[in-house]
Amino acid sequence: MERRTYLHSLGAAGIAGIAGCLDDVPLVGGDSRTVLGPPDERRGDPIHPTHGDEFPSFTLPDPLADETVSLEDVTGDRAFLMTYFFTACPDGACPALLLRLRRTQADAIERGYDDDIALLAMTFDPERDTPEVIEEYAGQQGVDHEADNWHFLRPESYEEGKQLLDDTFGMPIQRIEDSDDHDHDDSEDDHDHGEYTFEHFNLVMLVNHDGVVERAYPNAVDQREAVSIETIVEDARTVAQR
Amino acid sequence: MRRREIIAGIGSAGVVVGAGALAVVGVPSGDDLFGTDREYDPLEIETVDAPGSEAGEVLVPPGDRVAFVDIFGTWCPPCIEQMPALAEANERVSDDVLFLSVTNESVGENGAITEDELVEWWNDHDGNWTLGLDPTAELTERYLAGGYPTAVVIDASGRVHWSDDGVKTADELVSRITDAQEE
Repeated sequence: MERRTYLHSLGAAGIAGIAGCLDDVPLVGGDSRTVLGPPDERRGDPIHPTHGDEFPSFTLPDPLADETVSLEDVTGDRAFLMTYFFTACPDGACPALLLRLRRTQADAIERGYDDDIALLAMTFDPERDTPEVIEEYAGQQGVDHEADNWHFLRPESYEEGKQLLDDTFGMPIQRIEDSDDHDHDDSEDDHDHGEYTFEHFNLVMLVNHDGVVERAYPNAVDQREAVSIETIVEDARTVAQR
Repeated sequence: MRRREIIAGIGSAGVVVGAGALAVVGVPSGDDLFGTDREYDPLEIETVDAPGSEAGEVLVPPGDRVAFVDIFGTWCPPCIEQMPALAEANERVSDDVLFLSVTNESVGENGAITEDELVEWWNDHDGNWTLGLDPTAELTERYLAGGYPTAVVIDASGRVHWSDDGVKTADELVSRITDAQEE
């Protein structure tokens, strides 16, 4: 809101003069399409959509609700907060990403805006992240996956998910075969189809009711204010309740 | 719909200059309050009846003494790996330190694990200090330093003296805690 007000005041002063500074804000009509202003953090030119960009359309299965979820389902009358994860994530980063969604879900319930925001967690490891595994993980991570505003998203295959991430979401992943231990001992769980892990970005996306990106939070589990849990929850609350 | 209302409202906005300044500078209650300088009201953390731990509650931060908090999950392999160093550090630091492990898993009959299962996990990994619950993840939100496990040292005034994620040695934990005591 502050942002819009700001632009309006600039409009009166002649917006053309500062157009070069606002390259991520569409200037048609002079109004911003976002609730939040541009991020304080400046970085290069990421391949994922950032502030002011339209989030690409998608349709993905929610394996727990047994339905598909599309961009249209989570925009229009609500905003959404989205992240990408896999349950076998070895370093605790994925739980830290999920925690940002969990805390937003809790804040939304506490403050009564839970109908105004959806929480989307997309696995890129559908081979190991079966519906059963995801359901167990949801319990471990303390998320209410039965709430109407929560959706796990699981592509039909690894290849489909990878293509969507690489080409559409701008969230490339790299599958790493674990070459360290070829001597699998017998106690390994059967549902691990071989040993592999992923290199991936720790990305969280906040998208408004119009499907426009409000924030892309890169390296979202770092210890810095721009991506702290409190910051993301507050941003999500502001956008959801616009 | 809401969007139109907001845009329409802007036409009559009067606080243009002030709001613009905020948009440029950033969130008002921001930077200076973040990180190690940030002070919080204490949180009441429910504690569990387990080896080294009594059922009840503790305040984090306690406000009058140094606290060490290990943020863990029973689902988290590196958290298990961290347990021996925690046990050793707990033995080595003075008794007036609040030494606490906290999980934000939903614990209970309808949770991810029951309290019995949590205590069994604690037993299996030789936990022998205060074990707390963070069902709303509020404490985790405040103190998690990236991933799990996270180690946090809070000084007697309630400020975060040091925090980091990953598996730490007992030597490092003890030295961080002792540093905070000597402040």
